[in-house]
Amino acid sequence: MNFRPIYFTRRALEGMARGPYVALVGTATVFVALFAVGLLAGVLGGAERLLSTWAGEVRISAYLAPGTDLAAARTAVAAAAPGREVRAVPAAAALRQLSEELGDQAHVLDGVGPGVVPDAVDVQAPGISLADARALAKELRALPGVADVDYGNAWLEKLETLVSRARLAAVALFAALAVATAVLVGNTLRLAVFARREEIEILKLVGATDAFVSTPFLIEGLLQGLAGGALAVGALAGLHGVLIPRLKAAVGPAGALRLTDTLPPALLLGLLAGGAAVGLIGSALAVMRSLRRA
Amino acid sequence: MIQLFHVTKEYPGDAPALQDVTLAVEKGEFVFLTGASGAGKSTLLKLIFCDEAATSGQLLLFGRNVAKVSPRAIPYLRRNIGVVFQDFKLLPLRTVAQNVALPLEVQGLPDKDIRRKVKLLLRSVGLEHRAGKLPPSLSGGEQQRVAVARALAADPALLLADEPTGNLDPERTIEVMELLSAANARGTTVVVATHDRSLLERYKRRVVMLERGRLVSDGDSVRRTAGEVR
Repeated sequence: MNFRPIYFTRRALEGMARGPYVALVGTATVFVALFAVGLLAGVLGGAERLLSTWAGEVRISAYLAPGTDLAAARTAVAAAAPGREVRAVPAAAALRQLSEELGDQAHVLDGVGPGVVPDAVDVQAPGISLADARALAKELRALPGVADVDYGNAWLEKLETLVSRARLAAVALFAALAVATAVLVGNTLRLAVFARREEIEILKLVGATDAFVSTPFLIEGLLQGLAGGALAVGALAGLHGVLIPRLKAAVGPAGALRLTDTLPPALLLGLLAGGAAVGLIGSALAVMRSLRRA
Repeated sequence: MIQLFHVTKEYPGDAPALQDVTLAVEKGEFVFLTGASGAGKSTLLKLIFCDEAATSGQLLLFGRNVAKVSPRAIPYLRRNIGVVFQDFKLLPLRTVAQNVALPLEVQGLPDKDIRRKVKLLLRSVGLEHRAGKLPPSLSGGEQQRVAVARALAADPALLLADEPTGNLDPERTIEVMELLSAANARGTTVVVATHDRSLLERYKRRVVMLERGRLVSDGDSVRRTAGEVR
């Protein structure tokens, strides 16, 4: 077969123009499937981003052993956590703060002297990931004079479990949706090829090779897949623009979500490439089956 | 051109469609293949056209043993064969000119050459003025003339016609037969399967008669029409 891209693309476009309904159904199927996949990925991506933001509002406290020089410890902690806000908290200040926080119940602290509460160095770590928090805590714990380190371990660990479970659920849903998409698109394209079985038969009658017969169908599948993918990307971006301002009213931090948080470029490119691949593979399988019969 | 040696074709659960057929068609011949419905005419054409394979025996086409031709090479073999069917087999959503152009597109001819050739072909079948029409808007006779033009587009060495006049009235039948005869006069070998006795009477050509899959007679149409053709 001669390589004639313009001829075959023209034939593919003519084929779609002759059967616009089938081409539209193929494109719509790819669109719906990829939109569902993209929506799921976007929601999960956004949720994960929000959770990590909340998880990041973390303060890591290094409690010092009695007799440790607070200023030296602060310098050591600052060196271990470069770029972060590091504050020395003397025991007296800690007690005062606690007393303020207790308000009417402050009397429970009567008799508690500064010696009971240790001096501490606090590290403000907004946006820190759990893994980084864990690593920083380990590093601080190794500093001389540091008796203990607290970074809200319990709730952060729970949050991490929640996020990893959500991630697992997302992978399972992705797998299910990917299979459903492939089957759905494959069947739709099979219908498209079936509708033109007469054309395939006649082409073979006049001496067309399998490659000659199948190339326009493959191009059609590719174009429909790309069109479905592009529509899905456009619809998801539109949905982000509409939903985020409304979500901001209900969930404040959601307002900070950018398009790249929910729909990162890799996801959008993946949807386009996925659409093209699904269209191409679906039409290849359909046309191969039809050729075997012709 | 075509040589069959003891060719048998069987379908599972059915009586043999062809049994022990031995036949030779020389280059430039015009042969009628006749017999009642179910005699094996279409099956024989399908074997020659490489649409089906013989169960046993040997079929040589253009000197090549068809059983030894790889599936990939069959399309190229078919380009030497034009085929005309009773039901025309035209693409209804392509124009007359586009239908005729198909074999030339398959062979990768430049657009300019295709347009020129299609024009000549449509002129030769008297349908130049219908080039832009869709086949369903044409009469049966016109559609069959388009099918003949398409079959002849690639200048095939062999033209097979399976009941080409089965759907046509006598006047249109003559038009189509004249086109096939003209192609034969230009050197194309023509094999026409028909059960229309009037054709055998009108055109004095070699007649091969099949009956229940067996070749029962092979001779000129004068002798056949004298009493042997049923």
